[in-house]
Amino acid sequence: MSRAPRFIGIARPAPGARSVPPRSEARSVRGRARLIAAESISRHRRLWSALVLHRFEMLAWTSAVVVLAVTGLYVVRAVDADRALSGFGVRFVPAAPSDPPPTPCVLESCARPPLVGSPTRVRIDALAVDSALVDLALDGQGQLAAPASYDVAGWFAAGVVPGEAGPAVIAGHVDSTAGPGVFYRLHELKTGDVVDVLRGGTWVRFRVTTTEQYAKDQFPSERVYRPTPDAELRLITCGGDFDRGRLSYRDNIVVYAVIE
Amino acid sequence: MILPRPTLRTLAAAAAVTLLSLVATPGSAHAEGPIGYVRLAHLSPDTPNVDVYLSKVGDASFPEQVFGHVGYGIMTKYMPLPVGTYAVAMRTEGAPASSPPVLTTQVTVADGGAYTVAGVGKFAGLGLKVFNDDLSRPANGRSKVRVIQASVAAPVLDVDLADGTPVAKAVPFASTTDYQVVNPGTWTLRLRPTGSSVATTLGCDLAAGSVYSLLVLDSPRGLTLELRADARGGGTAPDGGVDAGAGGSSPWRYWPVLAGGAVAVVGLALVAARMRRLAARRT
Repeated sequence: MSRAPRFIGIARPAPGARSVPPRSEARSVRGRARLIAAESISRHRRLWSALVLHRFEMLAWTSAVVVLAVTGLYVVRAVDADRALSGFGVRFVPAAPSDPPPTPCVLESCARPPLVGSPTRVRIDALAVDSALVDLALDGQGQLAAPASYDVAGWFAAGVVPGEAGPAVIAGHVDSTAGPGVFYRLHELKTGDVVDVLRGGTWVRFRVTTTEQYAKDQFPSERVYRPTPDAELRLITCGGDFDRGRLSYRDNIVVYAVIE
Repeated sequence: MILPRPTLRTLAAAAAVTLLSLVATPGSAHAEGPIGYVRLAHLSPDTPNVDVYLSKVGDASFPEQVFGHVGYGIMTKYMPLPVGTYAVAMRTEGAPASSPPVLTTQVTVADGGAYTVAGVGKFAGLGLKVFNDDLSRPANGRSKVRVIQASVAAPVLDVDLADGTPVAKAVPFASTTDYQVVNPGTWTLRLRPTGSSVATTLGCDLAAGSVYSLLVLDSPRGLTLELRADARGGGTAPDGGVDAGAGGSSPWRYWPVLAGGAVAVVGLALVAARMRRLAARRT
């Protein structure tokens, strides 16, 4: 046992570590007393330094564990708890892709039943998003203003109503100052993913055709907002690098979806 | 609590790798699956019903679409289709799919493009024609309208709005005009054979930001006008993108601090371990 004592409870050093006093001093009473005092002081010192080191080490390791735990939490948030859990059957499974595509309904006579009312919810099962929809309007510059809340999506209420012919616009924050927002994972949407919008009591289903990313200063308004033959959806959030000077992301993510 | 050194090193390495893997931007999307739009039309007055086949060239995974019994005046809705080249084949009604088609053509669908593939002309000179349809947004909340002329009874005609705004002049049979930008609202469209004073009228609502085709057809009672909404958009549309993020998930806010802290702590732990060992050796 060559290691130093580790705990406060160990009162004396290990036997091998004891220093041997010179004989001459050990003979006199005063000398012995001095020896005992010196030994006591040195032992005390050793114990004390071991104790300090031990505390320091404990502190370091605790901090390391805390940092790793926090890191782990961020991993789970960023890498996506939902997809990680998909193996356990937690995730919603969309309809089997092997289903034959339905014959397109191309004549006016097979029009869909009319929808009533404003859209009230948006659901994206692939991203575990289920949000109420608030009304959005244009700001003074004619830009679409994002929802006031970071956790709720909104629809451009002066534009096309989701489910009616034309490009309806739904926007949501990618994050707040503290963490992910309602559309944090919007960029993950792929061709064929499903987006549902609730109107009245009816869920209107859209399928994603493409997900694109544009610099905000080169945003293709014509491409995104131009008229469409049938009901389509544009889901918009931020992406790319965060410009700390302007407190704004440099890019927009736009998901294009077409009514099913 | 004291871990052996190799474990310590492994831990430090793991922490570093984890941190590195997290330094990624939240949005790096890749584009896939852009679409265009195709519709089919039968615009030949004396041609009997036909069956129309649509398939994607060089892509057997695209299921061939068959539109049976397509008669004069029928124009389908636009089908959203992945970009690529498509083959359109026309057979007489009821002919087996294996029989050679009467007419074929190809249409190349570009990202966001819109096309009308129409059987045009008289039966004797029937052809398949591809019209490029410009569905771009009319500026300032206005409307767009154009004429698709499929009448042999009135082979050349003029179209205007009731207030005199011309939409198209001297439109020949089997052709389309360019889209004209007009004010939205309730209108009476007037149409008359060029040089004639007899007008056929059609009341219509033109919505702001929408795009229309006026289909001119022969009918037993004279001319028939059908207004078709090619595409719709809102009267107002946003300009530019959306500021929809506050940077809280942006990697550069916390990660350098966290990474630095982790490295410092692991380093301190290593130093502590060494000091401990030295202290142990001294005693």
